Amino acid sequence: MHELFPWLSLILQRRQRLLVGGLLILFTAISGLGLLALSGWFISATAMTGLLLAAGVPSSLNIYTPGGGIRFFAISRTLGRYAERVYNHDTILRLLADTRVRLFQGLVTAKPDVQTGRTGAQWLTRLTSDLDALDTLYIRLVAPSAVALIISGTVAALAGWLLPPAYAAILAACLLGALLLATLGLFYRTRRLAGARVLSEERIRVTAVAYVEGNAELTAAGTWDFHASQLQNLTGNFSRQQAIVDVRTGWHQAVATLLTNGAAVAALAGGLLMVESGAISGPVSVIFPLLLLGFGEVYGALPEAFGRLGGTIAAAARLNRDCAAPVGAAPAEEPFADANVSPAGACLTLTEVSVHYGESAAALGPLSLALTAGQHLGVIGASGSGKSTLANVLAGLIPPQHGRVTRHVAPGDLAYLTQRTVLFNDTLRNNLVLDGRVLSDQQLWRILALVDLTERVATMPDGLDSWLGAHGHSLSGGEARRVALARTLLTEASVVILDEPFTGVDHATRARISAALAEELATRTLVVLAHDRDALLPTDRLIHLQQARCAV
Amino acid sequence: MPPSAQQGARQWLRALASGNRFLVVSTVGAGLVAALATIAQMGILAHLVHQGVIARQPVSTLSPWFGGLVGAIALRALAQGIQAQLAAHSSHAIRARVRRQLLTAWHHQGPIKLKASSAAELASEWLDQVDALHGYFARFLPQMWLSLLVPLLVLLVVASLDWLAALFLLLSAPLIPVFMALVGMGAEQVNQRHFETLGRLAGQFLDKVRGLTTLNLFGGIPVATEALRTQSDAYRRITMKTLKIAFLSSAVLEFFSSVAIAIVAMYVGFGLLGYIRIGPSENLTLFSGLYVLLLAPEFFQPLRLLSQHYHDRAAALGAAQLLGNRTGSAQAVSPPATQSSTSTLDAAVNVLVLDRVSVGFATRPAVLTDVSMGIRRGESVALTGPSGSGKSTLLHLMAGFLPPDSGRVSGVNQQPFGWLGQSPFVVQGTWAENLRLVAPQANDATLFDALARVGLAPLVKARSAGIHSPVTESGGGLSGGQARRLSLARIFLGDFDLVLLDEPTAGLDAGSESVVITALQELHAAGKTLVFSTHHPQLLALADRVIDVREGQLHHA
Repeated sequence: MHELFPWLSLILQRRQRLLVGGLLILFTAISGLGLLALSGWFISATAMTGLLLAAGVPSSLNIYTPGGGIRFFAISRTLGRYAERVYNHDTILRLLADTRVRLFQGLVTAKPDVQTGRTGAQWLTRLTSDLDALDTLYIRLVAPSAVALIISGTVAALAGWLLPPAYAAILAACLLGALLLATLGLFYRTRRLAGARVLSEERIRVTAVAYVEGNAELTAAGTWDFHASQLQNLTGNFSRQQAIVDVRTGWHQAVATLLTNGAAVAALAGGLLMVESGAISGPVSVIFPLLLLGFGEVYGALPEAFGRLGGTIAAAARLNRDCAAPVGAAPAEEPFADANVSPAGACLTLTEVSVHYGESAAALGPLSLALTAGQHLGVIGASGSGKSTLANVLAGLIPPQHGRVTRHVAPGDLAYLTQRTVLFNDTLRNNLVLDGRVLSDQQLWRILALVDLTERVATMPDGLDSWLGAHGHSLSGGEARRVALARTLLTEASVVILDEPFTGVDHATRARISAALAEELATRTLVVLAHDRDALLPTDRLIHLQQARCAV
Repeated sequence: MPPSAQQGARQWLRALASGNRFLVVSTVGAGLVAALATIAQMGILAHLVHQGVIARQPVSTLSPWFGGLVGAIALRALAQGIQAQLAAHSSHAIRARVRRQLLTAWHHQGPIKLKASSAAELASEWLDQVDALHGYFARFLPQMWLSLLVPLLVLLVVASLDWLAALFLLLSAPLIPVFMALVGMGAEQVNQRHFETLGRLAGQFLDKVRGLTTLNLFGGIPVATEALRTQSDAYRRITMKTLKIAFLSSAVLEFFSSVAIAIVAMYVGFGLLGYIRIGPSENLTLFSGLYVLLLAPEFFQPLRLLSQHYHDRAAALGAAQLLGNRTGSAQAVSPPATQSSTSTLDAAVNVLVLDRVSVGFATRPAVLTDVSMGIRRGESVALTGPSGSGKSTLLHLMAGFLPPDSGRVSGVNQQPFGWLGQSPFVVQGTWAENLRLVAPQANDATLFDALARVGLAPLVKARSAGIHSPVTESGGGLSGGQARRLSLARIFLGDFDLVLLDEPTAGLDAGSESVVITALQELHAAGKTLVFSTHHPQLLALADRVIDVREGQLHHA
């Protein structure tokens, strides 16, 4: 359960809204119970008065107060429900923003692990569905449980006060039993299954993807049927687990109904005994049983929510894991030294640096490299030679397992164009400047001209404020690359690292812009990496990376 | 969703339900028993109140009635539990059936057609879309029947007690279809809006998570965080406007149900006081009055439940459209053409025969036109030609992955053969698991032997658990060359007589390339029949026959 604490404490920051929302639920529930109970009392009272009147006994009954009460409850139940739904949905949407912002910040701190290992579409989908489970935590679980507890407690206390002790005890026991069965009891009986389901879901997805991808080979080898039936079995177990959770939820709900109705029976028997002894009037004895009949509504939503709690906890655990800062050795990296006191204008120095992934052979190095300020360095290597790993090490994204990186650059004074082109669903302007600096249109246009995008942007109706991405202009791969390149140039960083700057950019354009880019960067330190010489900018110095080894 | 698509989806759902009629009907039956028990419970309760309050019977003489009350409640709970159990089983059975249909459909469509959807999409079909049917079959469908039948039952009982009270309920009955439409429209709107918003918010969020490194590198985290907050807030405002209207429809249902209770209470109360002197109200007793009051909420309850489950229907319709298309289109595909050949090409000598085969994609001129060829046992055939000329299509035809538009392909599908496609196929798991995909029964020594033949032995030996260590360690994957060699090891393991390979050396480093070439030489020497597309001179040299695929025709080179 502790997995939920960080998220519950986040949710609880909106204490006031939660309280109001909870009170609205309580108000609606009380109106519903009151409507039935008061109506029951009214009918019984009129029946008795009617009987007396028919027998010629002068008798009177104030029909206006209860009549008004019934009308009031009828209206307040409707309005309460409406207000509760509107208000609480508003809260859910607010919480949605809170949880997303929290998770986003968590992912930022946890970056190295997350960024290298989990960026696939599947991971992102899972992230979203895990988050969805948490957004409704309060509305589905916390508030209804609190309301059920308050109402049950109040009714039990009233029963203890008004009814014969034995009957009040039965009533209280029934209510307590129903509450426990519908909530914690069900949770304990389903948590392992519900948690396991969340995990096996991931496994099934991976298996399904694998078999679909290998469909051709498996069909050819004649083992498709075998694997298909394995997938079917795996999923069948998963589905059966859900059926078991559903069945348990259903039975817990049924027994909870049995117990609340049992409480109504106890209340009726106790009440009628007191009528018999003259302790209370007949109509009053009707109030308790009718109140309790309405409890189906108070307890109704609880089993469903608690049956899923195990899954919600598993989802929260995964999110916590994704947000957790990675454990392990601190990066073997020295804090950056002041550029002014650096020896002989050194800017970035790698000493015997190597990077391994798992047990496999070194992905990079061991490699030593000294980069002096203002130098333009070109790095050439085939795919798999460790180019991007080198770029990541230089940019400080991954720490080397061995060797040392010495920086004479402030972390914020480095611009890095990653191999993957990343554009956001946002305006061109916001894609060019990510950190919120305000740059003049003139500055932006100048850099766009440098990457040969002036004409393309001029054709967009909103110019610099045109929307890019799924709901806007779709750029070709080469155009997108050049936008990312322009973004890198627009930073004022003194060190620039470009990993394959011209991916998807055709030769003619590349030839046109390459020299101008080098000139623009003349005063800065530059590292540019590419698979061959044509894809580089003109540089002062060139190194070749070969299969995890460096040859100058 | 266009109306025709929705109709198709509805038909598909109906067909599924009728294929599983017994469980669906039993679920509704259990729900009806629960409703009947509830009606009995309310009657006994009203009777007990009447006996205790009006007739002043001592409680001790009423114990049989109390026994009956407890019995009715127990029956109600029992029926409720059974209903839940049946609903869960019904949904489970239906989804298992849909998954079987899906597997058949995937198999029939073959690897080539399947490629039109990404693997992640197909996995989502398998898991998420099929599970989206759950709510519909477990909750919505039974509740739909119950919301028709239960109010009718309640109405009959109320009418037998007091026809005027029944008339009050009945007056709202013509409104019930209106309610349902209202509720439906409202729920659908809420649902759509909600999912749209969630989808957009998720999109914005994922967009930023995907670009986290870039944001971090360019100092964009604070701006992005703020944007996340403001965008969520803007969406919330828009969505709430719609929700406020959408929730009104269920508020109307709530209102009628509350007002019905209030009206019944007032009517019965005034009737009992003798203020109403029309119709049956003079005969009202506390028993009949209270009974009618207790039944009034039960009249509306099934509808309220239905409105709660309405989003299940929308979700199921969406899924049904997708799944219906997938399973439906598979049935339309003709069985692979593998009839025995009647051509001049002798099937006895040939392992594989293509007889006047044509294939064309609708948008392009035909890829292959009227092509015939035979592949003899033990022969090694190279296919060459410019890219896009149809080499891969020819291999897919031979493999039976693609049915020809006309003509015949015979020989395949009769026994297992080896296939090496262009994209390597590696599953998350150990080396052994990856190899056993094609040979589930192979022992460890055989597996290691196969790896040794493709030069992967040193790599696997270096791992702590040998062939039982995972193929992909944290962060580091296999290189393209290693993955190709792993696929090749599967072919050695399978010991297939016929092996089809699509560009086996494309994009490989020199080391892996020579391993592949040696492997093909070994296979050829072992008398296996090989067909491969290639441009590699060493592979072309290995072939007994080189066929140039060009402009839809085969030319013997």
